[in-house]
Amino acid sequence: MAADQTLWKRLRSDPSGVAGLVIVALFLLLALGVWFGIIGQDWAAAAGGRWEPAGPRFWFGTNVLGQDIFERSVYSVRTAFEIGLVVAILSTLLGAILGALAGWYAHGWVDGTVLWLKGVLDSIPFYLFVAAVAYALQGEAWAMHLAMIATFWTGTGRLVRAEVMKIRTREFILSARSIGLPDALILVRHVLPNTLHILLVQGSLTFIAAIKTEVILSFLGLGIQHGVSWGLMLAESTQEVLAGQFNNFLAASLMLFALLMGFNLLADALQDALDPRQVAR
Amino acid sequence: MSTPALSVRELVVTLLGGPQPATVVDGIGFDLQAGEVLGLVGESGCGKTKTAEALMGLLPPELAETRAARMLLGEMDLATLPERALRRIRGRDISMVFQEPLTALDPVFQAGDSLTSVFRRHRGMNRRQARQAALEMLARVGFADPQGVLRSYPHELSGGMRQRVLVAMAMACHPQVLIADEPTTALDVTTQAQVLAQLTALAAAAGTAILLITHDLGIVAQYCDRALVMRRGRIVEDAPVERLFTQPSHPYTVELLAAARSGAA
Repeated sequence: MAADQTLWKRLRSDPSGVAGLVIVALFLLLALGVWFGIIGQDWAAAAGGRWEPAGPRFWFGTNVLGQDIFERSVYSVRTAFEIGLVVAILSTLLGAILGALAGWYAHGWVDGTVLWLKGVLDSIPFYLFVAAVAYALQGEAWAMHLAMIATFWTGTGRLVRAEVMKIRTREFILSARSIGLPDALILVRHVLPNTLHILLVQGSLTFIAAIKTEVILSFLGLGIQHGVSWGLMLAESTQEVLAGQFNNFLAASLMLFALLMGFNLLADALQDALDPRQVAR
Repeated sequence: MSTPALSVRELVVTLLGGPQPATVVDGIGFDLQAGEVLGLVGESGCGKTKTAEALMGLLPPELAETRAARMLLGEMDLATLPERALRRIRGRDISMVFQEPLTALDPVFQAGDSLTSVFRRHRGMNRRQARQAALEMLARVGFADPQGVLRSYPHELSGGMRQRVLVAMAMACHPQVLIADEPTTALDVTTQAQVLAQLTALAAAAGTAILLITHDLGIVAQYCDRALVMRRGRIVEDAPVERLFTQPSHPYTVELLAAARSGAA
């Protein structure tokens, strides 16, 4: 489609969008590096002494156990991307499907069931829910992912439902039916593509929310069980900060900040660039 | 005369959405001959659009009940056909042009995508054949640059251009009947004339009968062979256009003509 070329053109003309893209690309490279075993593999080894300062051997110094903080903060990029991508994609997909069905069959039993489910999920305090899921699936690495997917779709679902209710009364839907297209095809070809701007924004917001939530949950001990994440590093640093050691704390928070900032910038620029109604500049 | 292209008897549409069911089309009946241009006039809310949507089978069953003794399109009775069969007929044997060209094309697709989907669905063409057919159709509705139009997004086209794309879609399969629901109300006067001229010329060439819904008696006088006057869900007059204007038989028609004259003056 021609829109792909203009998307890239529009994105390139937005400096903050380009900055966001560069930052996210750098983080993605780090994550891929960890996945393919090129960097960040020695995050668990106690290679140095306690609290060694930053230097050529340990770029960000070492923590209380003598582990390399740089290695740990880089490995955490992988942790963050993994949970961000899995949760963003699956919960946005779930929200799109349930929201679209609810909106298309508004006020019917499908809609009623989806709304009821959403109401129930939204009324459970989130951390209580995660703790319950984590407890129920003890030792299961996917407990946190599952809890987030099960709860994060509701926002997307609500927005998509409202948009679909609006779209289905639009004339181009009548027009599509008047040329004999079946409902399922109309839903997939004409309704869902018109919610793409919502899905994109919700997807990127969910990506950010999932990473932040993972950090908080890991900090509380409800999150990452096997591995390392910025949240676990921050939990360690609560002891170290009292002893005047800030390396662990700074590495984890700055990495988290940079990734979220970059992603926010990119998401904003994408949102502008993808809007088909915006006049090309 | 031979069998009419469309023959409707006892069509009743009842809206179920409100606190009480409301009958908006109350037992109307008419015949539309092949190649004829039949006007359907009346004030806002008299049931013109609901009649059109009922004929197309576009009224959602949970919001409206459609009943008819018969709605014969050629040999097929639209009143008894299941939805599956209707989908094969819509856009091929009976098609519709909508009132609002601004919103009748999907904003996220190029104009050509909507047009080619008609050929692909009803003519079983592949992507390239459909594209070729779409280009020819666009040329026939008077576009000098069909290639460019095919690749344009709806927001890049003017109202008149969009309406011509919709006319191209509706006429793509040479339907027996075309329902035009206030096709030019949203357009300015010169564009109106262009679009209507193309619409009627295409229909005449293809032998398509047109049900032209409008509230504009000027359009009726200029383009229609015969006209139905509708009021409160009923057809109060059915007459050839000359007689409608010279010897209106129903008091409401007289009123309507007087209103049009005073509005024009």
